[in-house]
Amino acid sequence: MSTLGFSEEQRDCLQEIINVAMGLASDKLARFLNTFVHLQVPSIALVGASHIPAEFENRYQDTEAALVSQGFFGNEGVRGEAIVLYQMENAHKISALLGYEVGDVSEIEMLTDISSILTTTFLNGLADQIENSLSYSAPRVLSSAKGDISSLLKNTSFHWEHALKVDISYQLIDHSFNCDMILLIPGEAVTNIQRILDRILEEY
Amino acid sequence: MPHAWLCSPILSQLNSGVIVVDDEYQIHYLNSFIERHASLQLSEVQGKSLFSVFADLPEAWLKRKLMSVLDLNTPAFSSWEQRQYIFKLPHLRPITSSSQYMAQNCSMLPLTAEHTEQPLICILIEDATDAFVYQQHLSKTLIELERANRQDGLTKVLNRRYWEEQLKQEIHRAQRYQHSLSMILFDLDKFKDLNDKYGHLGGDFVLIQLASFIGSLLRDSDLFGRYGGEEFGIILPDTALEGAVEVAERICQAVAEYPMLFNQQTIRASISMGVAELLPKQHLLHDDLIRCADMALYNAKRAGRNRVCSYLAGETEYQKKVN
Repeated sequence: MSTLGFSEEQRDCLQEIINVAMGLASDKLARFLNTFVHLQVPSIALVGASHIPAEFENRYQDTEAALVSQGFFGNEGVRGEAIVLYQMENAHKISALLGYEVGDVSEIEMLTDISSILTTTFLNGLADQIENSLSYSAPRVLSSAKGDISSLLKNTSFHWEHALKVDISYQLIDHSFNCDMILLIPGEAVTNIQRILDRILEEY
Repeated sequence: MPHAWLCSPILSQLNSGVIVVDDEYQIHYLNSFIERHASLQLSEVQGKSLFSVFADLPEAWLKRKLMSVLDLNTPAFSSWEQRQYIFKLPHLRPITSSSQYMAQNCSMLPLTAEHTEQPLICILIEDATDAFVYQQHLSKTLIELERANRQDGLTKVLNRRYWEEQLKQEIHRAQRYQHSLSMILFDLDKFKDLNDKYGHLGGDFVLIQLASFIGSLLRDSDLFGRYGGEEFGIILPDTALEGAVEVAERICQAVAEYPMLFNQQTIRASISMGVAELLPKQHLLHDDLIRCADMALYNAKRAGRNRVCSYLAGETEYQKKVN
């Protein structure tokens, strides 16, 4: 546990990198989607695996929610999973957002499309700043039914004890559309990120 | 790059399709996988539009995907689960798969090339036919499993658990829409004697034959289930007592006249039937309705079997059953 702790400098550095990546992403997204994208300052936390299900559950209880997962991996042991969460009533607004014709593509495809765009745009910006480059798995819809999320996550065995969690909330003003993105960088990869942060701190 | 020579042989051996197009959708490259599957030569299609070479492509959809790759410099994906294939290509399991075209997972990746300023996109096509076939098997198995879960193994009518579930739902529906609902419980007369005379196989044979015969006399909306050993139930939605008694009389008579041939012997059987109609004030639970039909069934037994009795409110107390 102690080896996983972040120093204040590491934490500030990571927060700064993430803030910049977010700025880049919101600019790109705004131009691509033709709408103003509002991103709240992301919060970073080191969390225990056992806390994850409860947290998702609290946030999405009583709503029909969809959860899309996309894995990413890069050089120097950077890897993790990005999870984008939507309330289903919001998901219906995506077609207008992406300029799809009604009936042209399935709801699942729209969800994976928008998730992939949000995730990869942000993470590419992040990778640029740490002189890395990332590859991505195809996005997968894990659940799109009421009450599924918590049972789904309870059945997920987390193969790690601790993870670095980055919370980002997206709000697309014109479409009153919002969703949450959660990056989870598990176990060993956290140490690898710390090593990269230390290198960046040394260079300054 | 010291290992640059590897690229060409690997690309040509790769069991995935690689197509490279530019921002005007002109083909710059495709590998042997695509050449072979689509019966094309790179030299013939180089510089031509992707959409003229592959005329069947979902053009508007694909252009939108490719545009996002260029605009955002991020990858885009398509899964066989949402779109079974993008490129109409044959697959490598023509004998053992039911699909005509290769199920595909496609990734569209932004490329940065050293020699040109023009942005390029690599379309990577992976054969997902195996996953597609597994998924089809799985769906089929799930449907079979669901059926097995509702069916009585011996007689193939509904099993007791599912039949009772249906009864609860039908009662709920009848109460909500103020429709009538009736129920028949019936029992094979002297089943023990049949078993003694023809053996258990003979007894089972009679149950199977009668269940199938009676099933053929019912409407599609009637729900026919096995309640216990030789006891069966029929739920008759939208049917009042009078109509249900009519149905029961017809079945009772038809069964008595129905000869069954088992091991070169003709078996004749009869059934006793109890009919009850749902009385919303009296039957709060599905058990109450079953109890009333059971009382009527008991009266039919006591009155000499091979007959139909209906439950009338205020009828005599339910007594110990006889066979």
